[in-house]
Amino acid sequence: MSDTVLTLEHVSKNFGAITAADDINIEVGQTEFFALLGPSGSGKTTMLRMIAGLETPDTGRIVIGGTDVTRLPPYKRGIGMVFQDFLLFPHKTVAENITFPLKMQRSSDTEKAEHLQWVVNLVHLEGLEDRYPHQLSGGQKQRVALARGLVSRPSLLLLDEPLANLDRELRKEMEVEIRRFQLELGIPFVYVTHNQEEALTMSDRMAIMRDGKMEQVGEKFSLYHNPTSQFVASFLGSPNVFSGRVSAVDGEIATLDWHGHAIQARAHGGLKPGDAATCYVKSEKIAIETDAGEMSGEIRDVIFKGQYADFLVLLDNGEEVTVSSSHRGQLVKGAKTHIIWKPENADGFPAGE
Amino acid sequence: MKNNRLFFWVLTGPGTAFLLLFLILPLMSIVVFSFWRTESYHLYADWNLDNYRVLATNPSYVTFLLRSLFMASVVSFVSLVVAWPVAFFITRYGGQFKIILLLLTSTPFLTGEILRVTAMQQILGPIGLINMALTTFGFDPVTALMYSKTATAIGLIYLWLPFMVLAIHLSLLNFDFELLQVAKVNGARPLRAFWEVTWPLNRAGSAIGVVLVFIPTLASSITSKFLGGPNGALFGNILAHQFGSTGTWALGSAMGVVLFVISLLVLYIVWKSIGDLNRSGITIKGGAE
Ligand SMILES: Nc1ncnc2c1ncn2[C@@H]1O[C@H](COP(=O)(O)OP(=O)(O)O)[C@@H](O)[C@H]1O
Ligand SMILES: [Mg+2]
Repeated sequence: MSDTVLTLEHVSKNFGAITAADDINIEVGQTEFFALLGPSGSGKTTMLRMIAGLETPDTGRIVIGGTDVTRLPPYKRGIGMVFQDFLLFPHKTVAENITFPLKMQRSSDTEKAEHLQWVVNLVHLEGLEDRYPHQLSGGQKQRVALARGLVSRPSLLLLDEPLANLDRELRKEMEVEIRRFQLELGIPFVYVTHNQEEALTMSDRMAIMRDGKMEQVGEKFSLYHNPTSQFVASFLGSPNVFSGRVSAVDGEIATLDWHGHAIQARAHGGLKPGDAATCYVKSEKIAIETDAGEMSGEIRDVIFKGQYADFLVLLDNGEEVTVSSSHRGQLVKGAKTHIIWKPENADGFPAGE
Repeated sequence: MKNNRLFFWVLTGPGTAFLLLFLILPLMSIVVFSFWRTESYHLYADWNLDNYRVLATNPSYVTFLLRSLFMASVVSFVSLVVAWPVAFFITRYGGQFKIILLLLTSTPFLTGEILRVTAMQQILGPIGLINMALTTFGFDPVTALMYSKTATAIGLIYLWLPFMVLAIHLSLLNFDFELLQVAKVNGARPLRAFWEVTWPLNRAGSAIGVVLVFIPTLASSITSKFLGGPNGALFGNILAHQFGSTGTWALGSAMGVVLFVISLLVLYIVWKSIGDLNRSGITIKGGAE
């Protein structure tokens, strides 16, 4: 990357016997929205805290804007951070909370007023400047926390599950807005979440974390469509799981014997004939047809969601598969169907992980 | 409804009666006596303001009062400064030892006041630990520590410090230490973060600690009697005197009333200094709107 703002090189961190970060390497560019996605306890917060300086890595280097900050205390790093439970100062007004970073930098009053005006307009907090945090709704608190993170126009903004405490509707709205702030400001955001929808909606690139390890890093489309890690294949997009034995491998494509059916998937992890394998296929990548076909069965249930529907298909071999597709009149409960997918839409890995 | 009222009186009755009997009544009698007259160890109920006139015009009483006020201010301030780091580290890093550390701060109370003050004498006095050590090694003894106001101050701080630590600790238990990290990420050095966040959010704790130290110090007499030396008498010593050898109970009562009024005044000032509850963050725990 030509304009790298943040670099983590071989960063590791242990808490006693727990490995919270295991040889992490990340580069984040100037205008990037970078998401760290992983289940709870995978080490996402620890990573952000190390970048912010609230935690010191055991090994490795952290570089921000060309400066090695690994041993620099947090107050000298000049970055913004938005915390999960808002963590507003309860004894300060909205305006005082927001301008706190400027006060610490000893900015002039006019500068404070200008920045406050700008950021209040940006995050839509007009008229609430003199309130105290306990007089705000959850969504408003979230905006204040964001404004405080942005007000000093930091070189980098860290966000730790900033929407986790908001209800679904508000979250949808804020997802769009946070992305808009990032584009408007042109600074990198490092955004931590356990919610894949959030990460997929907002980010340019993302890293998937598990047990302190980075499973895969890349553009979100590439992670979603071309997982190279079994964990990523199983985690993103709640896929169907098929377990069987490899009967043949032809170039990139493996054929599995799955309860009497031959199913095909891209081969990962050096699959060879005879191996036990697990294959992941995302539900929207499976086609559902009403005519006869090789993998046939009948529709057990239809879960209608508006733009699409989930069809629970009970195959003739007794296995159940979920298919997401646009809703069609013929696809009713009890209808005979067959399902099919392209080999490049399925990913097979050695079983047992 | 009726049951509720009965319940209310059963619960609050004994406490109210106790307060009336042992606090309000003696207090009222002292107020009454302060307007009477004593002569040859007898109280005479002829109402007058003489006792107060004496207190206001006789410079020695004013001096003792000012000395006690100054002593109480110094002792409260030093206790506050000393107690903060202790309370902070017990709360933040005490972990499973929090309670035992806190209980340890109260060990001086296990022995009773006289013994404690005597123990201080053993350390500060002319043949005490500090000066013995100094003279043994050929240095001059520190006379400032021997029967002086400094010795009294040290003794009083030692006496009341646990209350200050306790008050601040209890306040810090409700404090979200993560706010300090927020301050640091946003550019505050540790001391600045303390000043911007920890201090204002625990002002009520500091205030309660100051009250708990200031008021007893203002009325104290035993510590200065043992450690203060010939010129170290405080208002409390003079007050005790009135009820002892001189038998001027009416004047003593007036002095008691003065102490009481000043204590109320201190309470009021401290309460005012906490000020806007929003500013102390008390509102986050379901307080005033
Ligand atoms: N200060 C700490 N002391 C001990 N263990 C910790 C500490 N902070 C985090 N951990 C552990 O490190 C792991 C990663 O935690 P965290 O970074 O908070 O995960 P996430 O944010 O992805 O949920 C967890 O197992 C957690 O229990
Ligand atoms: Mg976390």
